[in-house]
Amino acid sequence: MIRIAYRLLIILMLAAFPARAEDALAVIMAADTPLNTISLAELKLIYLRKNQIDAQGNRWIPLNLPVNDPLRRRFSLTLFSLLPEAQDDYWNVQYFNGINPPKVMGSEEAVLRFVATTQGSIAYVRQQSVDPRVKVLRLMK
Amino acid sequence: MRTRCHFLHFVLVCLAMCPFSPAWADDGDNAYRLGRGYAVGDTGLRLGGYAAIQTALPQHRAWSFEVNDLSLFLTWDNGGRFHFFSELEAGDLLSAGEHQSLGVQNVHFEFERCYLDTLINNYLSVRLGKYLSPIGQWNSIHAAPLVWTSSRPVATENLFSTHGTGLMLYGSATFAQHLLEYSIYGDASNSLDVHRSENPFENAAGGHIRYFVSDALQIGASYANFTLNEHAPARSHLAGLDLAWRYHRYELSSELVYRNSQHASKPHTWQGFVQSAIPLTQQWYAISRYEFFQQQQDRTGQVGLLGLAYRPIPPLTWKLEYRLGSHNSALAADGFTASFAILF
Repeated sequence: MIRIAYRLLIILMLAAFPARAEDALAVIMAADTPLNTISLAELKLIYLRKNQIDAQGNRWIPLNLPVNDPLRRRFSLTLFSLLPEAQDDYWNVQYFNGINPPKVMGSEEAVLRFVATTQGSIAYVRQQSVDPRVKVLRLMK
Repeated sequence: MRTRCHFLHFVLVCLAMCPFSPAWADDGDNAYRLGRGYAVGDTGLRLGGYAAIQTALPQHRAWSFEVNDLSLFLTWDNGGRFHFFSELEAGDLLSAGEHQSLGVQNVHFEFERCYLDTLINNYLSVRLGKYLSPIGQWNSIHAAPLVWTSSRPVATENLFSTHGTGLMLYGSATFAQHLLEYSIYGDASNSLDVHRSENPFENAAGGHIRYFVSDALQIGASYANFTLNEHAPARSHLAGLDLAWRYHRYELSSELVYRNSQHASKPHTWQGFVQSAIPLTQQWYAISRYEFFQQQQDRTGQVGLLGLAYRPIPPLTWKLEYRLGSHNSALAADGFTASFAILF
């Protein structure tokens, strides 16, 4: 009886704390982009709108998910060590100078569709969401 | 009267929206969000701006109340190489004082900025038009919702023109693994700017660099050679240093300027300030500042400032401050100032 109760307790604990590792974030561009990789430093400048033109002469179009999306929050913490709302002061100053923050898309599917069809667009999705329409330039754990 | 009604309506709408608007939490492109402006469909146009209301109670002087800024931004960026920006300011839109009833008698309009940017590459952009003089950091971000105090440090405006009109080359590059931003400009306000700002340049040339030592620390240096449009114009050289350190909502900033004028009564003039902002709670900040300023008509002025700032959300700030100093009555008088500012 005690052994059964012990096993049940272990099963309940495992159920309460799933061991599944978080998917990596995939930084993506359209499948036909000539770029094969991108450094974190470059990505940071693109998302701060300090770097506005890519190697082909197109304007970079960085995309974000909504502020409260867990993926956006992970991306922001990984790239800037800041949550999105902690960057408000930065974007207020940029707005005063006529520069707007990255475009926001409502879902990963919307991001994939936009990136697949728009030159210069760059974004992030879960690694498991990547499909042949886009190319992965970097994985972020 | 009609202007006054429109403005009051606008303020009430903004105040009503601020704390409750669901758009605040949603930064989708099509949703209006306070402090991000309103995108006009897919035209690339964006409308926005900021407003500030201020009341001052200086010692030994009359009190005053004014809607001292209502600035409207118009931005156009269709994703190509060209980018347009303009800021039209209505100053002293509504004012009142000890010897003056509430009215619009002091209102004046001015294009604060109006320029076309051409992106050449990541290292170089060309700006043509009227811009803020890139001297120090305060002047480039002087809007009331973006700074911690209602009053502006003397060193950020007294020795040079805050605006220039002409050509500017600017950009950024990575240097020793950190970002370096630069701007170089040539000003011909005398010929190009028909609606001159206060204390304008006749002509000027100069530059500014800013180095991002880390995510928290920026240092900058400025140089300008200019003639101001004044009674006895004199060629001046100005050099400046600026510093900004931000860490976990703590801020420290400082600017120092030195001007050498060939024919002025006081050829060597130094001015500067150091300011701190300390978070008390999530939304309250304690502000302190020390500034000094050599001046033409008096001995060196010194001012200390203590203040509080309340920011319920970042585009909206309430401020209260008290200044006390010596030889400061002409440029930064003692007394209380309170203000409310909003970026919309």
